Amino acid sequence: MKMVKIYSTQTCPYCEMAKEYLAEQGIKYENYDVAGDEAARKEMVEKSGQMGVPVLDIDGTIIVGFNKPEMEKALKLNK
Amino acid sequence: MYELIIVGGGPAAISAGIVSARKKIKTLVIADSFGGQWIMAGDIQNFIGTKSVSGFNLAKNLESHLKAQEGIEVKQAAVLKITKKGAGFSIEIDKGETFEAKTVLIASGSGHRKLNIPGEKEFEGKGVFYCATCDAPLMKDRAVAVVGGGNSAFESAISLLDYASKIYVLDRAEILKADEINQEKVRNSGKAEIIAGVSITEIFGDKMVSGLKYQSCDGGEIKELAVEGIFISISRIANNEIVNGLVEVNQAGEIIVDPKTQKTSVDGIWAAGDVTDVLYKQGNVAIGDGMKAALNIYSYLRIDNKK
Ligand SMILES: Cc1cc2nc3c(=O)[nH]c(=O)nc-3n(C[C@H](O)[C@H](O)[C@H](O)COP(=O)(O)OP(=O)(O)OC[C@H]3O[C@@H](n4cnc5c(N)ncnc54)[C@H](O)[C@@H]3O)c2cc1C
Repeated sequence: MKMVKIYSTQTCPYCEMAKEYLAEQGIKYENYDVAGDEAARKEMVEKSGQMGVPVLDIDGTIIVGFNKPEMEKALKLNK
Repeated sequence: MYELIIVGGGPAAISAGIVSARKKIKTLVIADSFGGQWIMAGDIQNFIGTKSVSGFNLAKNLESHLKAQEGIEVKQAAVLKITKKGAGFSIEIDKGETFEAKTVLIASGSGHRKLNIPGEKEFEGKGVFYCATCDAPLMKDRAVAVVGGGNSAFESAISLLDYASKIYVLDRAEILKADEINQEKVRNSGKAEIIAGVSITEIFGDKMVSGLKYQSCDGGEIKELAVEGIFISISRIANNEIVNGLVEVNQAGEIIVDPKTQKTSVDGIWAAGDVTDVLYKQGNVAIGDGMKAALNIYSYLRIDNKK
């Protein structure tokens, strides 16, 4: 099982799409709301070198934005 | 061969798709995503018939309304090019496939425009943002700037009111275009300052943005603001690459249409929504124009050509 973390905000539509996509694929993830949680915000900036959401951490692979092909690659969903 | 191919997945395309499906026009809608710019819009308060709806939910509703139409075909892909072929058109998509149609409706909307100033590209995502709905919550207790003076700029400022400690709104124009109700909300918040008639000359910082420089449009000294976030919401650019050289566009690159019918300069091609030279770039207007286009395409296919 892959370790998937998503750094998001509650209002961000692309975060919602990324979560929906993970759910559709039956993948469990941990969600960090970077608006309320300064420690998570710092962690996200350190990992991705930037502040835009969403950021995904899939077993150490960092993906900025909702990028389906990159997610598929990191999750090894590619057939 | 389709009777109609609609390019786009925003309000204009979806409205046209629903009308054409109900008219039983053999239609294919090709879009790389559905809902258009409304995906990014925060709270929409002028969608007629609904007091308040989140842009994301409205976008989802549009998509499901389209997909519920019997007989409509929908393909998720990016259109690369449209060319004339025989009496109709050939549409090439990113997966190498091509489709043919008698008529085409371009509803590819618009994309965000950049300021093209030093620091903008370097700090993208590092304090320079184009979607306030997405990134406003990161600006908790921080000073920010919004660049632009239209409704989308003021809506960005409104989303920031809940988080930022100070909001500067900067625009080139002296008289701002945004609806008075939006301007009032920002002005009366007690934490916003509106600086009109200026242009941003530079964005600076170390790893992340720490400020910007601006100058009044009539020259004058360059001033600095200390901000950690800069939200750029200036006028947008028409997504016209797919019809490059095929239809007539104005100086801003917007497709020129006949406002009564949405016809372009090329027989068989219509356009609607933000990609056109329509004066008002609004979702409600795009929906009306998409509908006009589909009704006129119906006349063209089934009535005019039968005479
Ligand atoms: C933050 C924000 C807030 C807004 N708030 C409001 C509001 O409160 N009320 C209001 O009325 N309007 C609002 N608007 C304006 C409104 O969203 C637009 O006027 C409207 O979305 C335009 O619709 P459209 O269908 O012409 O284009 P778009 O919404 O731009 O849609 C274009 C579609 O075409 C697709 N596309 C583009 N190129 C291609 C291609 N080559 N191949 C395949 N598909 C392609 C895109 O993926 C997209 O789905 C807002 C806009 C923004 C950005």
